[in-house]
Amino acid sequence: MAGVGQVLEDGSVLSRIDQQLHKLESSLALVSGLAIFSLMLLAVVSVAGRHFFNMPLPGYVDWIEQAMPLIAFMGIAYTQRNGGHIRMDMLVAQLKGRALWLFEWLTSLCILGLICLLIWGSWSHFSRSFDFASPWWSRDSSMDISLPLWPVKLMVPLAFSVLALRLVLQLWGFGAAFIKNTKVPVAVPLVLDAAAQAAAESQYITADEEVQQP
Amino acid sequence: MTSIEIGVVVSLCMLVMVIIGMRVAFAAALAGLIGLVWIFWAKKGFDPAAFWWALGVATKTAGQVPHSKISAQALSLIPTFILIGYLAYHAGLTKALFEAAKRWVGWLPGGMAVATVFSTAGFAAVSGASVATSAVFARIAIPEMLKVGYDKRFAAGVVAAGGTLASLIPPSAILVVYAIIVEQDVGKLLLAGFIPGAFSALIYAGLIVGIAVLKPGFGPSVTGYTWGERFRSLPPALPIVAVVAIIVLFVYNPFGDAIGTPTEGGALGAFVVFCIALINGMRWPALKEALLESAKLAVMIFTIIWGVLIFVRFLGFAGLPTAFSEWIVSLDQSPMLTLVFILLAYAVLGMFMDAIGMLLLTLPVVYPAVMALNGGESVSAADSVFGMSGPMCAIWFGILVVKMAEFCLITPPIGLNCFVVAGVRDDLSVQDVFKGVTPFFIADAFTIALLVSFPAIVLWLPRLAGG
Repeated sequence: MAGVGQVLEDGSVLSRIDQQLHKLESSLALVSGLAIFSLMLLAVVSVAGRHFFNMPLPGYVDWIEQAMPLIAFMGIAYTQRNGGHIRMDMLVAQLKGRALWLFEWLTSLCILGLICLLIWGSWSHFSRSFDFASPWWSRDSSMDISLPLWPVKLMVPLAFSVLALRLVLQLWGFGAAFIKNTKVPVAVPLVLDAAAQAAAESQYITADEEVQQP
Repeated sequence: MTSIEIGVVVSLCMLVMVIIGMRVAFAAALAGLIGLVWIFWAKKGFDPAAFWWALGVATKTAGQVPHSKISAQALSLIPTFILIGYLAYHAGLTKALFEAAKRWVGWLPGGMAVATVFSTAGFAAVSGASVATSAVFARIAIPEMLKVGYDKRFAAGVVAAGGTLASLIPPSAILVVYAIIVEQDVGKLLLAGFIPGAFSALIYAGLIVGIAVLKPGFGPSVTGYTWGERFRSLPPALPIVAVVAIIVLFVYNPFGDAIGTPTEGGALGAFVVFCIALINGMRWPALKEALLESAKLAVMIFTIIWGVLIFVRFLGFAGLPTAFSEWIVSLDQSPMLTLVFILLAYAVLGMFMDAIGMLLLTLPVVYPAVMALNGGESVSAADSVFGMSGPMCAIWFGILVVKMAEFCLITPPIGLNCFVVAGVRDDLSVQDVFKGVTPFFIADAFTIALLVSFPAIVLWLPRLAGG
């Protein structure tokens, strides 16, 4: 449970940086969403081409392989910002005030450490396939229509770097909340209890039903 | 320390990180990375000079997992299924579906509740979201049930229970995740979910009809619809049926060769819902919202997948899954009893954790053990313990585990669906909803017992599809 979080905003420096970064994260997440959408269109074209025009789409699988990393990584910081990565909130839901911010700060620090290492690891994965001397600067390519693989491999450390920025900001937010003993800090995802989660869920749907009304 | 001991210690560390509230995906990846460093460093006898070497090798090993594992074509089913779900909200299908169900099955004893079960199950299946579906139908169906005189607790229970039918009937993202983690045929798993899902819905409906017959004044039938009115209600609700049918046909076509791959089926399903949503007035702001929500959910699932796969890479080095399997098989009790214990453990775990997180974290160790219980991955049906071949056992266990995870959503004291229904309705407390859902809870326990005792219910369709 607990894939939902709420982020408060105010006019402070921290919150203003948060909102700027959120703009960047939202556009990246939209790239991820558009990649999902193009996956759909690609399949429709592929099926239609095969069955009605006797013309299979060349490199269909190659394009899927290009789209998947975009989908999986571009939105990673956006999801972290909005508390979308699931966790077990049995313990944190019981904590309040400083104890809560301490735990949040510690786990965020652990994640930052992990992500820094993975930026290094995924960069070396990228650099193994990138070479200025090769055609398309690429040492490897996809099976069918030989698309170079390095651009999507590069997406991984890039997306992780944005996530690292986000984590630094969350460390700042939780740290400040711990020091000042704030009740409801800005710029960090807050834990929602089941009732608030339900309210958020149905709010999304209410907004939606209004759209649906003819 | 032996590598198995390292495996146990690191697994416990991961458990601690998960319990103190670290995001599951990152807890698994971090534990895996630490474990890899530990194992590589131990090989060099913990020589301080070799630490940086071990860190480098471990980081590079872990660093290639995200990209290389996520590029797999089979995974592309997940985002398309998610997109179907979010677009379905915008396509205005919920009310149409409920209206059609009301006109077609309303004449049954307890008809309005039966209609609720079928429409909730249908929408849950297509949207793939148990909790959100219960929230939507709490708004649409509960008022209508109250109007014809149902007990409000029971009405809430129907909605909470109906939402749990999301993960078995195709399209089901969670079955895709399972298939990928255990490296089994995605199509067969999707197919296998169809009958148990429909079966659960029928059991719910049968239960309602039974109560309505035995208890006069419980829930009147809704009659008076002409055949013309019935048929007119169908077209607006048709896309839901179409999506399920397209996906099933793309996995298994009873009239010949499959029309395409499951991924294409999922994408075509999404396209159908997209067109309906456009016709019903969806414009860019709503589409953008749906795309962002889809991206968020897809990213969440993919992050757990690669995080857990880093952990799995470490587990492989540590040899933990093999050791656990050997221990399970050596237990001095019937394998069936062991399997039942494993399922019960999932029922408990599911109360604290999201289904996808729970499956991904446990399957790398539990799945090989279950396969070993049955006699191994490639055992034939004749030599096996549970009377089914290795791949069939994988499918059967997958369906059971997913059904358990759904069961947890209405299990007291923290079944999330009940909380959400209570949250949507001001006049209902959580206790009310749990009270109303009790008959369905018992029915579900009965269904699970049936699926365990008669695996043929699960395996009939995938066997037809060959294998």
